Amino acid sequence: MKETAPNPFINGLWRQNPTFVQILGMCPTLAITNSVQNAIAMGLATAFVLICSNGLIAAIRKHVPKQVRIATYIAIIATAVTVTDYLVKAISISVYKALGPFIPLIVANCLVLERAEGFAAKKPVIPSMMDGAGMGLGFAFGLTCLGTVREVLGAGTFLGIHLFGPNFEPWVLFLLPPGGFISLAIWLLIFASYRERKDRRERARAALLTVQPAEAQS
Amino acid sequence: MTGTTTKSTQMIRFLGFVSLLCGVLIVGAHVASQSRIRVNQEEILRESLAQLLPGMTRQVIYIVTPTGELTPAASGESSDKRIFAGFDAGGKFLGVVLEASERGYADVISAMYAYSPASKTITGFSVLEMKETPGLGNKIGSDPEFLANFKALDTTHPVAAVKHGKKTNPWEIDAISGATISSRAVGRMLAASVQEMAPIIARHRDRIERGN
Amino acid sequence: MNESLGHIFVDAFLINNFVLCVFLGMCSFLGLSSKVSTAWRMGVSVIFVITVSAILSYGTNLILVAFHAEYLRLITYIVIIAATVQLTEMFIKKKSPELFRELGIYLPLITTNCAVLAVPLFQTARGYNLLQSTVFALAASGGYCMAMVLLALVRERTELSDVPSLARGTALTLVLASILSMAFMGFAGMGGGG
Repeated sequence: MKETAPNPFINGLWRQNPTFVQILGMCPTLAITNSVQNAIAMGLATAFVLICSNGLIAAIRKHVPKQVRIATYIAIIATAVTVTDYLVKAISISVYKALGPFIPLIVANCLVLERAEGFAAKKPVIPSMMDGAGMGLGFAFGLTCLGTVREVLGAGTFLGIHLFGPNFEPWVLFLLPPGGFISLAIWLLIFASYRERKDRRERARAALLTVQPAEAQS
Repeated sequence: MTGTTTKSTQMIRFLGFVSLLCGVLIVGAHVASQSRIRVNQEEILRESLAQLLPGMTRQVIYIVTPTGELTPAASGESSDKRIFAGFDAGGKFLGVVLEASERGYADVISAMYAYSPASKTITGFSVLEMKETPGLGNKIGSDPEFLANFKALDTTHPVAAVKHGKKTNPWEIDAISGATISSRAVGRMLAASVQEMAPIIARHRDRIERGN
Repeated sequence: MNESLGHIFVDAFLINNFVLCVFLGMCSFLGLSSKVSTAWRMGVSVIFVITVSAILSYGTNLILVAFHAEYLRLITYIVIIAATVQLTEMFIKKKSPELFRELGIYLPLITTNCAVLAVPLFQTARGYNLLQSTVFALAASGGYCMAMVLLALVRERTELSDVPSLARGTALTLVLASILSMAFMGFAGMGGGG
């Protein structure tokens, strides 16, 4: 199929999902997923940074001297993050307060630097921005998954809407730091078992086709 | 030799170009978003003040100088000690709002409270930031029974939090059961802040109530 | 607010441990904690880099404030950190080539460790003075080192135990981290509450 040149957008969103497959950018993933709203806001902020930095880096990629490339990337990423910081502040102060220091810390998110070095440094502008969008939205998707588990179990709400009756006793642990670790572990287990089952099925199908091609066809 | 020098000058020129580009982008974003951010901050401040002083439509902000004098200030984030005087639509003085913070159970709790210079009572309390345990300590920001303590809390005697159900005097705060440490932090925060600010407010009461 | 040095230390070291309670430096915490020896070395290099860059950032911030150029803060801090890492690398290479060989691959990773960037950002936001900043940096990085070593100790133990194949790797590490984090929640009351 598209094995040779996977669509950069879909690639980031699902096959190379930053949270569940590559396990990159763990700090914000664990720290600000205690509500769905924060998770979405953080995911979108990171996606915005990724699109900007990937686009800029791809635009100047042919002129970057090899020795100073990391310094250049970091400077550009820091710029994109500072711009995002002002943008979030201009959109809503309360979101800005909820995300706290984790907006400036996008600079140190390994995902952003990894995409700059691994993709934008070699590809033209448009695919790089697509890759940034895919990775960013994949990251936002991962954060939202985690945020949903933590908010539903820890507070009994989803996006602030109460899901259960007044008798629901929230499982507060999920809002606290240990809950972040546990819920990410649960998601990773779910994805691992899904992948394993898919692998097993494909292997079984391949075995069937090679051993009894005639029967399988008829 | 010439090869390496051109290479390094090239590198420096390139880095110079990158920093110029970054600088232009950052300054551009800063300038473009400045006015919008200020509007947002003012709105947030007005909302939180109006919550403590119902009916408030106009506020005057003073910074307390280290010598205990007052200077008018603009709104926005500030680390200075501030007094917010609130007035209603008819220009009537409603009370002042003060900021206070104290170490709670998990981290520093910062809060705002309304203070009436005339009756020397605390008339409202709201938490700005905290990381207290969800479900227990963080009730100090939402529990209606706890917030009822601050309808008319006497401050002529030092404010203190007492165990749940043991409140007997008008200067005592009835703590939330299961969140005694957080409640006590609120008590200490208010006691320290009132002790410091009440004399300054009393000294400048005329000026604050006129709003200039 | 004027906090005492002891408060700052206990707070950053235990109560708000950078790794287990504030979730900073996660990538290296999960990635480099499989062996005690690597965890310990990484921890020590982070202590060094954080302390040096925190002091440098404190000085730089004074200059930025003097010129009203606070909007350049983030980009300056990250440049300082990258430079500190680079200098540390050169220094270790010159002084002790053996140590360099052991640490070599981890040093560049410190640049993208968010715990390193968080220290200067936090100390600026809280308005610490130079002494407070230094204590804060030492405590935060010490807490990072301790958490790394603790997790590595537990992970070395689980090496030999019978874990379902699905849970091997990151998922198991996360569960262990979660238990450690629960243990650290017990320190919460130490901030001088009641």
